[in-house]
Amino acid sequence: MNVESRIDDLLNLIGKKLSLEELEDALFLIKAEVEKVEGNIIEIEVNPDRQDMLSTEGIARAVRAFLRIDSGLVKYPTKKSGLEAIVKQGLTKIRPYLACSIIKGVETDDELIKEYMHLQEALTATHGRNRKKASIGLYVFDDIEFPLIYGPRKPEDIAFVPLGYEIEMNGPTILTDHEKGVDFGSIISGFKKWPLLYDSKGEVLSLPPIINSNDLGRITTDTHNLFVEVTGTHLPTVNQALNIMTTSLAERNGRVESITVVYPDGTTHETPDFSPEEMMISKDEINKLSGFDLDKTGIIDALGRTGYGAKQRKAGQIEVLIPSYRVDVLHPVDVIEDIAIGYGFDRIEPGMPQTMTTGKAKPVTGLKNKVRDLMVGAGYQEIMSYIMSSPELLNEKVLRDRPLVVTANPKSREYSVLRNSLLPILLAFASQNQHAEYPQRIFEVGDVAVPDEMMETRIQQIPSVCGLVTDTTVNITDLANEIGFLLRNMGFDSRFAYKKREDPTFIKGRSADILLDDEPVGLFGEVNPKVLSNLELGTPVIAFEIYLPRDGQW
Amino acid sequence: MSEQLTKGERTVLKELVNISERITSRILAKGLDEKEERVVSILNSLSQRGLIELETSEIVSYYLSDEGREYAERGLPEVRLFRAVVELGGRASVDNAVSKSGISQKSKGIALSWTRKNGWLAISKENETTFLSANTEVVETPIKSILSMIHKGEHRFPRRHEPSLQIALERSLITAKTAKVFVAKVSEEMRGIAENLIGEEVSGIIDLTPEMLVERTWEGKDFRPYNVELQPAYANYGKKHPYAEFNDWLREIMIGLGFTEWDGPYVETEFWAHDTLFVPQDHVAREVQDQFRIESPYDHGDIRDKKYYRAVKAVHENGGDTGSKGWDWPFSREIATRLCLRPHTTPVSMRYLWEHRESPQKMFIIDRNFRSETLSATHGQEFDQCEGIIMDKGLTLRDLLGYLKAICNAVGIKKLKFKPGQFPFTEPSVETFGKHEKLGWIELGGSGIFRPEVTYPLGIKDTVLAWGIGSGRLYMAAMGINDIRELFSRDLNWLRKSSFAREAV
Repeated sequence: MNVESRIDDLLNLIGKKLSLEELEDALFLIKAEVEKVEGNIIEIEVNPDRQDMLSTEGIARAVRAFLRIDSGLVKYPTKKSGLEAIVKQGLTKIRPYLACSIIKGVETDDELIKEYMHLQEALTATHGRNRKKASIGLYVFDDIEFPLIYGPRKPEDIAFVPLGYEIEMNGPTILTDHEKGVDFGSIISGFKKWPLLYDSKGEVLSLPPIINSNDLGRITTDTHNLFVEVTGTHLPTVNQALNIMTTSLAERNGRVESITVVYPDGTTHETPDFSPEEMMISKDEINKLSGFDLDKTGIIDALGRTGYGAKQRKAGQIEVLIPSYRVDVLHPVDVIEDIAIGYGFDRIEPGMPQTMTTGKAKPVTGLKNKVRDLMVGAGYQEIMSYIMSSPELLNEKVLRDRPLVVTANPKSREYSVLRNSLLPILLAFASQNQHAEYPQRIFEVGDVAVPDEMMETRIQQIPSVCGLVTDTTVNITDLANEIGFLLRNMGFDSRFAYKKREDPTFIKGRSADILLDDEPVGLFGEVNPKVLSNLELGTPVIAFEIYLPRDGQW
Repeated sequence: MSEQLTKGERTVLKELVNISERITSRILAKGLDEKEERVVSILNSLSQRGLIELETSEIVSYYLSDEGREYAERGLPEVRLFRAVVELGGRASVDNAVSKSGISQKSKGIALSWTRKNGWLAISKENETTFLSANTEVVETPIKSILSMIHKGEHRFPRRHEPSLQIALERSLITAKTAKVFVAKVSEEMRGIAENLIGEEVSGIIDLTPEMLVERTWEGKDFRPYNVELQPAYANYGKKHPYAEFNDWLREIMIGLGFTEWDGPYVETEFWAHDTLFVPQDHVAREVQDQFRIESPYDHGDIRDKKYYRAVKAVHENGGDTGSKGWDWPFSREIATRLCLRPHTTPVSMRYLWEHRESPQKMFIIDRNFRSETLSATHGQEFDQCEGIIMDKGLTLRDLLGYLKAICNAVGIKKLKFKPGQFPFTEPSVETFGKHEKLGWIELGGSGIFRPEVTYPLGIKDTVLAWGIGSGRLYMAAMGINDIRELFSRDLNWLRKSSFAREAV
């Protein structure tokens, strides 16, 4: 995900005059990468695990810690507003959770408002799983009459002017006519009642997770006191989204105030809750995974450079305080990575590889390579093709009707199924190369996929070799001799035979099965002129295909 | 100009002197009943000696693909769909519009996506039914005229058609073929010399025969000299595909470093493709815009190791016994058994670990993967990945960097820098950048240490280092290729003339 920032604004938030190169180097070492610089605009790519860095403020906070301008856990003082948001009964299955905050005195200008909206969009798209798990709304705090109500309502009874519109719409109309309704409507459309957030005067704030109201949800450069709400289906996701949004705004000189969310069963949550989660990690654990030799001071410094709070505890234990805006810390290994980042990836001395093992190729690779060498010796040019192909080529054009593995979401019909044989692929290749010099002798060794209900993933993946010759005249005896050359040199001198068999792809009376120990392993013949005409091939073709054993053993 | 001409050169030059006008190599070859490739080679040699003037130019011709031909004959599916909506009064349910338009179910998705992309139709939902409404009355698409011109037999186009041709190429509706044309003419200043050269009679033995050797009749005689400095013609003997040779080379390196090759199926359950790698079940990488799903004949597979399934499920839901929080979200068997085309080779690493749980292990794979991308110069829907794992007691992040250094050095890249990265299945994660001689700093690949959520369900407590390198990119650099579609080039002339040189990496 990319974040666009104004360089002067970013440096101002970082609080230190950095050259572009210094900034770029620091970002590189904390998982962010500069994509583009144009005048005062810098585009920074942020890794998807660092949702807290999806804003200029978040990036500045990370850089500040890393450069030790302000390292360690950042504290965001929060005052209780005494205001309430009441969650009504009936949302459990629809969208049960709500968390809110107030930020007063936030800086706003046209650019900043755009950036706040961008953070909101980016957070709901990724962290909120396209609004399913969490969605965020921003409002003009001074226009809202508390307490707020969050409850279910019949779609046709919902009526308000959605953001960016001038006319009032009802619930169903918003889902069919508003672009956000079309995009996200499926999250709530299956329910009889939809979640609605409104104030004590009955003014609608939003129809989560679809759209805010135009009356309360339109932030302008005159707005400095903001109200933020997050609703969703997963409480930790909802709280994390609120924490990221609120702390980012707090970085713009905002003063945070909390709200009491009251649930139908009487439990209350004071949100936002910035208290850090604690995790105990031992010095040994850290050094064992990283390969460093850090003492406690070194560890605490590295943790500080990545925004953690840390305290020494007895017996080599470190108590780590995880910032409440971090969403990606699931396990001590996540903290250890941050210690490595804090230590500096540019300082890590690569170790000396010592794991002693002997390498070898898969037996089937050996078999495939043997076949390739022999085909080259017989004068064939190797080709390589896509595994994906079209049913027309694999079946209709070559007069076959064999089962195919079909994809559900192809981008084009030409690449919509998996090849079940190489022969049609090579015929299509020859058809595309009629301007090239003759004779044309081509081969491919590669896997084909055949549906098989008995297999774990419902396919048999079979290594195959196919050879094809086309010229103004072709000679099937030459081809039979070449297949003999191939099989004899694979060690099957007395084990193979050809047995005449009709096959629609080939001319009647000019095709045979290739038998190994009396079992058919392939076929060859002269291609049916009907097939040639389907492929618009202007010269006669002889070809063979042999299926090789998956385990490389015959 | 004391050298003599070869027999071939004499014949060709004689013909050119006789014709004395500009002539293409094709017509010349036909007149002489010779292969064009040979004539071109001779023309090159004559031109190097200044006897003739030789011009070359490239001509691109376009042809319809099967899909393109169908559209040329029956109309583009998006246009047909749009017309159907207009004919149905400007608004219609998807099902009605599709059936009115007569397009196949297969083309439905393609038609919907393009009408939407072009802004012709708006999509809305009402009572579980999806409706289409026309945003305009008439639509124009340049692709249509391109397709019909090609269908009528026009294959070459002026430059202004370039953008439409490009779109049609990206949609695989047309294919492009490039032909080289050679035009030759005797150089006026050299005409005299040329005439002398072809007039000169040369004496001496031509073919040395077994009889001459027995009877010693060659003794004391001159042999007619041949031109042994000729530019050889391209010869079409059997050889390997340069990309396959590149992959062979990589495989040799990996085996040399002690890695064992492994493989796995192209079609995977999402269990192996994502769940075992601790990718959350609602992760965007599993969506239809990112990976191919399998629809038929089977859309779900099964999970054979019940114990492992339970352990993976627990890790997702609450972290299991790993000390992790997990994803705190119900784990769905329906999603786990869903079939997809594997979007990376990492499930193969998991299948290997499933069979090899004791240290030490080193495994690699070079094989195909699939992503749901529209084919273009920078995005392929199929690509090869070279990746592997190292499992041993006490391995660390420093060891990972050590292995990355060894692997990158082995493929010829000496100067490296490391950046923290992010992958759902590794922590810490590392991105490696290498200084490439031609391309400067390039991203070489991702790596990391498998998370406990990935290894513990298999009972593996030792460290597993995992790495991958963008091998396709290295190959493209070595071959001077800029278009990813040329990895699997279907141009026989190019293949016959190209080879992979190991030193080029």
